[in-house]
Amino acid sequence: MIYHYLFLGLALFIIGIAGSILSRHVIKVLISIEFILTGVNINFITFAAFCDNTNFDGFIIALFYIGIGAIELAVALYIFYLMYKKKQSENIENYGDL
Amino acid sequence: MTDNPIIFYPLSILMIIFACLAIGYKNIFYSLLSAIMVFFLAGVVFYVLGSEYNAVIQIAVYGLAVPVILGLAIMFTNPKDDKSQLSSKLKFAVVLTGGVFLLSVIYLILTSLAIVPEGFNISDNSGTNPVSAMAAFSAIFTKYVWAFELMSVILTIIVVGLSLFKKEVK
Repeated sequence: MIYHYLFLGLALFIIGIAGSILSRHVIKVLISIEFILTGVNINFITFAAFCDNTNFDGFIIALFYIGIGAIELAVALYIFYLMYKKKQSENIENYGDL
Repeated sequence: MTDNPIIFYPLSILMIIFACLAIGYKNIFYSLLSAIMVFFLAGVVFYVLGSEYNAVIQIAVYGLAVPVILGLAIMFTNPKDDKSQLSSKLKFAVVLTGGVFLLSVIYLILTSLAIVPEGFNISDNSGTNPVSAMAAFSAIFTKYVWAFELMSVILTIIVVGLSLFKKEVK
């Protein structure tokens, strides 16, 4: 059963990678990066639940990942908002000089 | 409740479908709604895996707080594209991903039900460990206290840095 959870995490990771490469909207790219983090979190919690009987390190690291991911999203959105006031565009190709 | 395949398979199918929709939609608002569903379902997956504390944090942060920030950013940037259709370039990728995933799910269900021969069965017999929140997360204040403090310092640096960044941009 552990492989099924790992497969779900891998699928989310691949969808996030594909979305961050293919998307042109900045917010959609950020959402895709959050998908990547969610897939990684699923892997951490799966290994902690199935393989770790004593320390439960995966749960703690997943908790830190959730916090760091939310912070990263907030900072990226703030930078995007400040840049948007100059560029007036959501297209990521216009943000090459960031 | 933990490690229940009857709950896990519909959850995972819905997660993948909503993740593909979040990427495929051209309208960013629909993408956000699909992403919210993915984050909620990820919290349910954490609960199924026996980590209730992570599930609550996931739903509180990613299911409620992050969509509010994303929604505010969408409102401030005022998108002009109102088309809800999937872009033709991504439609093929979404259909291909969904097809591959559905085939994989069918294979995984068959293997978990042991319909295929023994050699193809990749699932093992180990179950999840029931975890009490106190036992698992007391490590934050003992073993991981330095990581916890480091994260709080990073948060403080980010708040100060963003305020300085805003002044510099102005």
